[in-house]
Amino acid sequence: MLGSGPVILDRLLERRLVVISGKGGVGKSVTGAALALAAVKSGRRTLLVEVDSPLEATRYLGARPAGGSVREARPGLFTVNLSPSAVMDEYVRHVVKLEMLARRILDSPVYHRFFAAAPGLRELMVLGKIMTLEEERESWSRRPRYDLVIVDAPATGHGLSFLKVPRAASEAVPVGPIGVNARRIQALLQDPKRTALLVVAIPEEMAVVEAAWFHRLATKELGLDCAGIVLNAASEERFSRAEEAEVLRLTAEKADLGPALPAARRQIRRRKRTRFYEKRLAALDAPLVSLPFLPDDPIGPEALERLVARLEEA
Amino acid sequence: MAARRPSAALSAALAERHVLVVCGAGGVGKTTTAAALGLEAARLGRRALVCTIDPSRRLATSLGLGQLSQKPRRLPLGRFGVAAEGEMWAMTLDTKGTFDSLVERFAGSEAARRRILGNRFYQQVSAALAGTHEYMAMEKLLELSADARFDLVILDTPPTRHALDFLEAPDRMMSFLDASVLRWFLKPYFVAGRLTLKVATRTGAALLGLVDRYLGLQFLQDLSEFFLAFEAMYDGFKERAARVFGLLREPTSGFVLVASPAQASLDEVLYFHRRLEEKRMPFVALVVNRLHPQPSGPARRRASAAVSPGLAAKLAEVLAEEHLVARAEHRRVGRVEVDIGRRPVPVPELESDVHDLRGLAEVAGALFGSA
Repeated sequence: MLGSGPVILDRLLERRLVVISGKGGVGKSVTGAALALAAVKSGRRTLLVEVDSPLEATRYLGARPAGGSVREARPGLFTVNLSPSAVMDEYVRHVVKLEMLARRILDSPVYHRFFAAAPGLRELMVLGKIMTLEEERESWSRRPRYDLVIVDAPATGHGLSFLKVPRAASEAVPVGPIGVNARRIQALLQDPKRTALLVVAIPEEMAVVEAAWFHRLATKELGLDCAGIVLNAASEERFSRAEEAEVLRLTAEKADLGPALPAARRQIRRRKRTRFYEKRLAALDAPLVSLPFLPDDPIGPEALERLVARLEEA
Repeated sequence: MAARRPSAALSAALAERHVLVVCGAGGVGKTTTAAALGLEAARLGRRALVCTIDPSRRLATSLGLGQLSQKPRRLPLGRFGVAAEGEMWAMTLDTKGTFDSLVERFAGSEAARRRILGNRFYQQVSAALAGTHEYMAMEKLLELSADARFDLVILDTPPTRHALDFLEAPDRMMSFLDASVLRWFLKPYFVAGRLTLKVATRTGAALLGLVDRYLGLQFLQDLSEFFLAFEAMYDGFKERAARVFGLLREPTSGFVLVASPAQASLDEVLYFHRRLEEKRMPFVALVVNRLHPQPSGPARRRASAAVSPGLAAKLAEVLAEEHLVARAEHRRVGRVEVDIGRRPVPVPELESDVHDLRGLAEVAGALFGSA
């Protein structure tokens, strides 16, 4: 269980695309940043993609917020923040070669009202853009520009429909370039050699329920390969059995240790909860790695290094 | 008078108002908070209904019920040893079902109804269209607020990435359905039924050409059909939407914001709070879940002789770490208090997850200080 760190890391790093999913607030961004850092350390040119959240992952890296275009945050580590509407505008410009006409379309109320709200279109555009980034090649060597693309997907609920969109789109729009693209995205996502899903949870009932639910739907229904599950904010083993017993005894004796005993009891409880959810998640058909709770405020590059070390170690 | 508890405004709202909307980003304990509010309202003698959009059965989990029905169901509070004068009801919201019944209400004829419900685009849209969940949640709220069985309806808003989606989404959906904008280029197309375009403007023609090239004829036909069928219903929809917004502005309604002590979560409720003020919607309280206990003075010295040295060191370490976390959290929450000008209602990290009504009673106790 806890020894599956390198297994997960190896499994993730051999792909081209890693999609990180989980309920909101479980630390997907911090996981994505740690994974990106581990990938860079292994010598991979890595692109970390965020969707519509300019502040998250790059903050942990100690870098400036990612912008709409790809930027090198550290040597070998690139970041980009995709705004769905900007991606869509870019697509229109790409399709309509005439800048003047493109601008008139982009300015027209119909475009704004319809295309901005059309179901799934934004998600499809973002996924299409991710696919394009994955396919990018250096002009001289023709080798892929990035060895690994990591996507910090929008929270579950949204996240799942995010991944469902290509299939829905290829069914709704069977012909034309959109349909063709939707099928290519679908093929990329479903190819276990190229794409892996990483599910993230924290030791809380709802987060774990949702992770299990998401894992099942993604693997069984959408045909994605789940390469691992991350349990964030895991409590570490602090007290030995004997020490735990001593804490309980001191509590029963009403020993006067100020706030120390309640704090110790809370820690023991959190540790128990962590173990309980580790067991639940381990029962899913994917390797599990637990990452420790970080007390740092704010979480910066140093704290991130501790997660990277945990991902790397046996 | 004793110093007001931070939860005073919340208690007053539970005792008096008719509609409470619970908002927050996903993962901050919104659903559990909504359920705890329902329980407290029942204790205050009200007949409260908690309504949630529940893609992963969150409320059901926190109520210890295997399944929640789409019809309001009364919870057996007594069976769990929870004493309450009032009643607590719960239900989940079925977005698709609500949309279907709206169509049934506003479609002028049986033929129109069948045309819409059978339309491929509608079948995709009613579930996937941006804002549908939020719009339907509001729609349901309108209906439930008029239900004589309840004197308080608590709406747990759909899990969104950004809490704000709840206020913005209906506008987005209405814009999308606004047939008057689309008519001018879709209708002639549909009526002609082929590729001959007679569109007034060059931009329109270019757009249409683009759509046809990229989405295909069949899709366009489904789409035109959908909008033609919807045209007659649009006014009805729009009128309902206006009434929902009216309802949310009433002084008998209120918004409860829920956050975790994480900076991102607090930033978001701050923004949401500002938007509520702009829209003149009544803010009731901010609940901050999962706070670490406030440090109560320095760690006490005097490791009594009874404590083994190894343990003493670890106790100090664990306590120091907890203080570190608690201080950072309280600093962040304190800043929010200054900004919204009201004390947030703190909920300490609970001893265990909420699995049943008893656990929920514990949350309510933490919220209202009655445990």
